[in-house]
Amino acid sequence: MYVPLWCKSNFSFLEGASHPDELVEEAQRFGLQSLALADRDGVYGIVRAYEKARETGLHLLLGAQVTLDDDSTIVLLAQDRNGYGNLCRLLTKGRLRSPKGESRVTWLEVCGHATGLVALWGGERSRLGRADEEEAFDLIAGPLREAFGDRLYALLTRHRRAEEVEQEARLRARALRHEIAVVAAVEVLYHTPARRPLQDVLTCIRHGVTVHTAGNRTKPNAEHFLLTPHAFERLFADDPAAVARTLEVASRCTFSLAELRYRYPSERLPDGMTSSEWLRHLTFQGARFRYQSDDIPADVTAQLDKELALVDELDYCGYFLSMWEIVEFCRAQGILCQGRGSAANSAVCYCLRITAVDPVRMGLLFERFISRERAEPPDIDLDIEHERREEVIQHVYMKYGRERAAMVATFIRYRTRSALRDVGKALGFPETELHRLTKLYSHYEGVENERLQHAGFDAASPDVQRLLDLARDIQDFPRHLSIHPGGFLLGHEPVPAFVPIENATMPGRTVIQWDKNDVEALGLFKVDLLGLGALTHLHHCFDLLKQHRNIDLDMARIPADDPATFAAIQRADTVGVFQIESRAQMAMLPRLRPRNYYDLVIEVSIVRPGPITGGMVHPYLRRRNGEEAVEYPHESLRPVLEKTLGVPLFQEQVMKLAVVAADYTPGEADQLRRDMAAWRRTGRLEQHRDRLITRMQKHGIALEFAERVFKQICGFGEYGFPESHAASFALVSYAGAWLRRHYPVEFTCGLLNAQPMGFYSAATIVEDAKRHGVVLRPIDVQQSAWDCTLEKLPPTAPGAEPKFVELPNVAFRAKSAFAIRMGLRYVKGFGKSEWGKIAAASAMRPFTSLDDFVARTDLNEGQLAALAEAGAFECFGTARRQALWRTQGLSRATPVELPVDDEAQPDFTPLDALETIGWDYTRTHHSTHGHPLEPLRATLRGMGLPDARHLSHGTHGDRVRYAGIVICRQRPGTASGVTFMTLEDESGFVNVVVWKQVFEQYAIVLKTEPFLGVTGRLQVERGVVHLIADSLWKPKLQRAPAASRSHDFH
Amino acid sequence: MDRLACIDVPAVPLQLLLRAHPQWVGHPVAVVDEDVPQGMVLWHDETARQAGIRRGLRYAAALGLCSELRAGVVDAKTIAVCVAGWLERLRRFTPGVESCSDEPGVFWLDGRGLRGHYRTPRAWVDALGQESLAAGWTASIVCGFDKFATYAVAKSLASREGAGRKSASGESASRGGARVVFATPQDETVALQRVPLDRVGLDPRARDTLGKLGVRTVGEFVRLPAAGLLRRFDGATYRLHRMATGQFALPPQAEQEVEPVCAEADLDPPELDVERLTFRIKQMLDPLLDRLEREGRALATLELQIGFDGVGPVRGRPAVAHVIRPAAPTLDAVQLLGLVRLWLDATLLPSGVVALVLAVEPTVARHEQLSLFVAKPKRDRLAAARAFARLRAALGDDAVGRVRLTDGHLPEARFTWERIDRLAEAALQPRDDLVRERGVDTTVLVRRLYTRPLPLPSRPPQEPDGWLLCGLDHGPVARFVGPYVVSGAWWRSEIHREYYVAEMRQGDLLWVYYDRRRRQWFLQGIVE
Repeated sequence: MYVPLWCKSNFSFLEGASHPDELVEEAQRFGLQSLALADRDGVYGIVRAYEKARETGLHLLLGAQVTLDDDSTIVLLAQDRNGYGNLCRLLTKGRLRSPKGESRVTWLEVCGHATGLVALWGGERSRLGRADEEEAFDLIAGPLREAFGDRLYALLTRHRRAEEVEQEARLRARALRHEIAVVAAVEVLYHTPARRPLQDVLTCIRHGVTVHTAGNRTKPNAEHFLLTPHAFERLFADDPAAVARTLEVASRCTFSLAELRYRYPSERLPDGMTSSEWLRHLTFQGARFRYQSDDIPADVTAQLDKELALVDELDYCGYFLSMWEIVEFCRAQGILCQGRGSAANSAVCYCLRITAVDPVRMGLLFERFISRERAEPPDIDLDIEHERREEVIQHVYMKYGRERAAMVATFIRYRTRSALRDVGKALGFPETELHRLTKLYSHYEGVENERLQHAGFDAASPDVQRLLDLARDIQDFPRHLSIHPGGFLLGHEPVPAFVPIENATMPGRTVIQWDKNDVEALGLFKVDLLGLGALTHLHHCFDLLKQHRNIDLDMARIPADDPATFAAIQRADTVGVFQIESRAQMAMLPRLRPRNYYDLVIEVSIVRPGPITGGMVHPYLRRRNGEEAVEYPHESLRPVLEKTLGVPLFQEQVMKLAVVAADYTPGEADQLRRDMAAWRRTGRLEQHRDRLITRMQKHGIALEFAERVFKQICGFGEYGFPESHAASFALVSYAGAWLRRHYPVEFTCGLLNAQPMGFYSAATIVEDAKRHGVVLRPIDVQQSAWDCTLEKLPPTAPGAEPKFVELPNVAFRAKSAFAIRMGLRYVKGFGKSEWGKIAAASAMRPFTSLDDFVARTDLNEGQLAALAEAGAFECFGTARRQALWRTQGLSRATPVELPVDDEAQPDFTPLDALETIGWDYTRTHHSTHGHPLEPLRATLRGMGLPDARHLSHGTHGDRVRYAGIVICRQRPGTASGVTFMTLEDESGFVNVVVWKQVFEQYAIVLKTEPFLGVTGRLQVERGVVHLIADSLWKPKLQRAPAASRSHDFH
Repeated sequence: MDRLACIDVPAVPLQLLLRAHPQWVGHPVAVVDEDVPQGMVLWHDETARQAGIRRGLRYAAALGLCSELRAGVVDAKTIAVCVAGWLERLRRFTPGVESCSDEPGVFWLDGRGLRGHYRTPRAWVDALGQESLAAGWTASIVCGFDKFATYAVAKSLASREGAGRKSASGESASRGGARVVFATPQDETVALQRVPLDRVGLDPRARDTLGKLGVRTVGEFVRLPAAGLLRRFDGATYRLHRMATGQFALPPQAEQEVEPVCAEADLDPPELDVERLTFRIKQMLDPLLDRLEREGRALATLELQIGFDGVGPVRGRPAVAHVIRPAAPTLDAVQLLGLVRLWLDATLLPSGVVALVLAVEPTVARHEQLSLFVAKPKRDRLAAARAFARLRAALGDDAVGRVRLTDGHLPEARFTWERIDRLAEAALQPRDDLVRERGVDTTVLVRRLYTRPLPLPSRPPQEPDGWLLCGLDHGPVARFVGPYVVSGAWWRSEIHREYYVAEMRQGDLLWVYYDRRRRQWFLQGIVE
C-alpha cells in the first residue's frame, strides 16, 4: 500500500489533466486510503476534492507545489490547521508580489512558514536533484532542514526517464549528507494514461506552442498517471522503505477542511450593547419606520422575535449588521440598492431595509433563508445600481482592510468555442479556420461533427477527429481564475489564514482562490454585491423627474396597482422594463395578463426553465383563464397552493408542500430544495421520491397528483425562482413599467443613459420610443451633452401632439413637453474625455462655426470625423460629407498654413434617407431619423413583403412572407431545439419560431444574416402572433439596410 | 506600335492560395498577412468583395460580413518566385517589361518597336492572352496609351471577366481573362473615368474616407482638388491623383537584367588532363576577377559547370555543376585555383571535358584597415576558414559541419547537423587543474548513435547461453538497466519505445530499445 503524495489536478491550470473528483474516485477504486492534492501554487481545487473525499471516505492530504524565486519547486503538505494557515499565508505572499497567474516565494519565507507543514523536496525542478554547486545547495538545505526538522523529506520521483538516474543519485547523496529521509512518489498529472494527449495539449496551450513544435515542453512519456499500489511498489521495488514512508507522511498530515473555524467580522457596537441587542434595536427601529407606527402589527413582532432568536442562536448577528451597514452606506451616498434572493424571506432584512418586500404580508417562508437544521450561513444578495457598484466595493475594502476582505473568484472554464479554439491551435490548425469554425457555434452547443462540415473541415480526417475528441475532453476544465461579479469573503481572522489571496487583473482588486460554490460548501459567509442596470435606470429616471418636473419620487413612493400600467404590461408593451422585456416574457404577458403586483411576481418566475420543464405553465394559464377548474388534491394544501391556483410555481411552495403533505420539518424541506437544485448533478432527489409520495398518499392525496408534484419538483432542478426573489424583482419591474407608462420620455432617456444593460440595443429602444410618440433629437455638438438630456418642446411643436396610426404592442402615446436630445456618449470612437474638451470650450462661449469648433476643442482627426459622420455638425449648416471633408483639412492644418477657406470646396452628393440612417447606425448604433427599413418600405411592398403592423392583424394559418432586421436569436435549452427570433421593422416586432428541422436546413443564414426574410405561417393565439418559419432567405435588395448588433443566444 | 499594355494577374497571392487549397474554389477567399483572427486582409476574391470585404479589414471583422470566408497566408518568397516566372514569360513578348513593386501580378509592357512582330495591337494582346492561358493563369490585359489608365481599367476588368462580351472600346472576354484594346486615347480616358475607385490600389483609409464622401469612381476622384487631397490624405493618394490626371505619363520602366559575371568555353579536343584543365579555368577566371576588381567587387562563390564528351546535358545544364566557396570573398586567383584543383582531384571525370562554364556570384569588396601591431591571437580563425574551404572543395559542402542541440525527446530528435562557414569564438573551458582540485569526476561516457537504429533479431530472453539480444557478436546480456520510456507523437503515428542500457558479458555497453508498436528490439547506439 502507498499514498500518492504529489497529485496535481486541473486546478494546476493548463497542466493537470484530471478533475480533483476524478483523482479521488480513481484512488478510491484502487483501494488507496489517502491521497495528497498539491496543485501548483494554489489550493483552488481542494474544496471539490474534499467534498468528494468526504463522500467516498478517502483521507485527503492538502497542500501545494510551491514555486521558489530560483524557479525550483517544493511540495508542502498541511499537517494541521496551523500548517494549513501557514501554507495559505505563504502562497498569498508569493501571489501578491507576482504578476497574475504566477507566484514566487523565497527560501527564507518557506522556512519562516514551516510550522505545521511537511515538506517534500524533490521532483524534476527541485534543487535537491539539480546539478548545482554543492556549496550553493548546502546554503539552502541547511536552513530548510533546521526549519522543518524531520518533517523534511527527500521526494524521490520516478517516471521512467533516463535523466532521472543521475538526479536520483544526486538526491540520495545529498539526502544522506543532510540526514533527510527519502520518500517515494510519482508526479501525478492525470488519473489515467488515456488523458496523456490532453495533458500534452494543455502544456502546449500554456506555452503557446503546437504539439509539433513543443519539443521538451511536453512530458516525454505517459508515466504521470495514478498508479495502483502494486504498480507503485514494483516501480520502487528496490527501496521499500521509501514506499512505506508515504504512509508515514500521510499519518502525520491529519488536517481536514472540516477544521476551519470561521468567525464573521464583528461590527463596531454602541457602548454596552452586544451585537444581538444592537441588531434587535435596529430591527425594531426599522419596523416602526416600515409600518409607520409605534404599534408594530402583532404577527410582524412575532415573526421578528422568531427570526432574531434564531439569528442570535446561530451567531449570525454580525452578518446582518454588516449588510445593514453596507445598505446604510448606499443610502447615505444616494446609491440605489435592494436585497434579493432568499433574504427577502426575512422580516429582519425587510425592517433593516436590506430588502423591500414584506415577507409577513406576502406569506414568505423564513426557513428558505435560514434554518436550524442546515448549519449554513444565510446568503444575502444585494443589488446595487451598476454604475456605482465600485464605490461600494471600495468602501468594503476600506472598512475591513485587504486582509479581511477579498473578492470571491470564478473559474473561467472551457466551453465549446474556447475548447475548439485552444485545442485546435495546439494541434496546429490554422487560426483563421478555427476562428471561422468557432463563429458557427453558439454558447450552449456541444462539439458536433455537423458544424465542422459546415466550416469546411473534413470530419472524417483523423486530425479533425482528434480535435473533436480533445475538445470534448477539455470541456469544463478550468482555464484561469477570474473575479466573481460581486462576491466578497469577509473574515474576523485575516482571510489568508483560510485561503490564499492573489491579484486580480483589474487594478485594486484582490481575489481568493475559491469560487462561490467552494465558499458555500465550507459554510463561509459571503456578501454578494451585484451590479444591476435596472436600478441605475430607475435612478436616472428619478433624477430627470426631479430636475425637469420637480417631482420627488423613489421606489417606495411609486403608486401601487396602477391600472394604466398593468394595461400596458398586458399588451407586452414593455421594452426596457426589467425582467419582463425579453422575447419570452413578452410572448407570455398577453396570455397571463397580469392585473396586480402578485401577478407580476408570477410572471417574473413562470418564464423559467423550472416551471416550463415541470409542466406547470399551461395548467396555470388554463386555470387562470377559467378553462380548467382550480382544484386541490387535499384541503390541507389549499393554503399552500391557493396563490398559484393549485399549481406549485415557487420553490417555497414545494417546501411548504413537503411540510404540510409529507411531514417534512422546515429544515428537511430546505434540504429538499438543495437537492432539487443539484439533482442533475448528484441524483440525491431520488431519495425523496418514495418518502414524498408515500406520505402524501397517507394524507389522502391521490398517487397521480403526488407523482405529478414530484415531476414538478424535478423541474425546479433546472432553474426555478424562489417566490421572495421574484417578489424583489417584480418590485423593480413594476417601478420600471409605471415610469414607462407615465413618464416615457424620462424612462427612455434614463434607459439610454444606463446602457449597456437589458435586452435591447439602443436602436430598438429609440425606435420603440418613437412609436410611442417620444420626440428624439439627433446628436448635435451645440446642444448635446455626454448623456442624453431632455429639451423643452414648444407647446405647438410638431411631435408634442402627434398623429399616429395603430401599431402593435403600443399601449399608449406620450404627450410630453420634452424631447430627448441624444448624447455624445453614443458616438462610436468618441470618449468622455473628449466630451470634456467640448464642454470646457463651449462653457467659455458658444461655438459660432465648424472652424471655430475645430480651433477651440483640440480634437484629433478621428474624433472630428466621428462627429461629422454622426451628423453632429449639421447645427452649423454643414452637411455630413462637407463636414467630413472640411474637418479633415482643418485638423491637419498647421498654424503657419494659409486658411482652408482659400481652398476650393468640392460639391459632394448629399446623403439620401437610407444613407443618412446607415451613417447613423454605423457611427451611433441608432438613428433618430428613421428605421433602416423605412426608406426601403416601398421596395419591400413591391416585393410583396408586409410590415409588422400588417402581420399583427393577420389570421391564424395565413401563409406570409416577411423581411425584417434581426434583433434577437434564442435557442433555449428547454425548447427542444426550437429557435426563437425577433425581427423588427419601422412598425414593430415580429416573433418568429424556427423548428429544429428548419433550423438545421437554414442554420447559416439564420445565424449570420442581420436582415432576414422568412416564409411561413401565422400562429395567432390569444392575441399573440408568431410566424412559424418554413424557410429563411436573404432578401435581394440593391442596397442593404443598416442593422444594429443583435442579442443572440444568451 | 506606340502602345503599352498592362497585364493584371488578379491577386496573384490569392490565386496561389487557391492552388494550395483547391477545395476552397467556389467559396469566398482572402489572403491575410498573419494566420490569426486579427490578421489583415491583403487580397480577396470577387465573392468576398461583394460581401463588403475590403483590403485592410481584419479577418475577424471580415468573417462578420461573410461567415463563409476562407483565409490563408501566402509567404513573400512564393509570391516573388511567381512574379519572377511571369517576368521571364513576358520578356518573350517585349524586352521592356516593368513589374509593379506595390502590387504583385501587375506588369506593364512596352510595345514600342514591335510592329514587325505583331501586325496590330490586338494581335499582340491576343498573343499575351494565349500565353497566360497556357500558363494556367487568369489575367486581364489592357492595351492603351497611359500606364495608369491601362492599369486602372485592367483592375476593373477582374470582376467582369468571363462575360464573353465585346464593347465599343474593344473589350472582349475569353477564357483566361478579359482583354481590352483602346483605339484612341480618348476612349481610354472615358473608360478610366468609370473605373471604381476601390480598384486602383488606394490606401484603405483613404479609400474608405473617399467612399464616405461619395467619391467612388476615378472620374469623381480626379475632380477633387489636388491640394485638398494632399492636405487630407497621404502622399500616395496624392500621387495616384496626379497619375489619374495624366501628370505621370511615363513609359514602362523596364527592369534591367543584371549582366551575369560568367565565362564559357568549348574544349576541342576533349580535355582529360586535370593540370591542363586547371590552367584553362585560370585563363577564364582571370578576366572575370579583373572585371570584379574594376567594379569594386569580389568573388563570393564560383560555380563551375562542366560538360563531358558523350554525356548529354541534364535539363539543359552541363552534366556536373559544383560551387566553390572561398573562406572569404576574394580576388585571389591562386587561392581559388587551389580550391578548384582540390575539387578536380577529388572528382572522377567520366570522360573528356568538352564544355566549361564559370559563373561568379559577386559581392561588394570589403577593405579592412591594416593592423600592424595588433597581437596575433593563438587561434587564427581566418586560417581555419581557409582550411574549411579546402575541405569543402575536396569533400563536398557537407564535409564541414557541427551538431546543434534541438528540443525533442527521441535521441534522433535531440540534435541536428548544420554547416559551418566560420569558426565561432571559443568559449572558456574550466581548467583541468581546477576540476581536479574540486574533485569533480570528469570521466565522460560517449554514446554513439546509429543514423538509423539497427533492428535486432528476435531472441528469447532465456537461451542456453543467456539472452543473445544482439546475436552472437556481442554475446549474452549480463546486465540490463531500464526501461526508460519515450512515448508520444500521438497526433501522427504514435511511438512507444522502452530504452535499456544492456551490459554484455563481453563488456560492451549497448543502448537498445524495444519498440512496443512494432514489437521489435532495435540497437540505438553503443556506449564507449
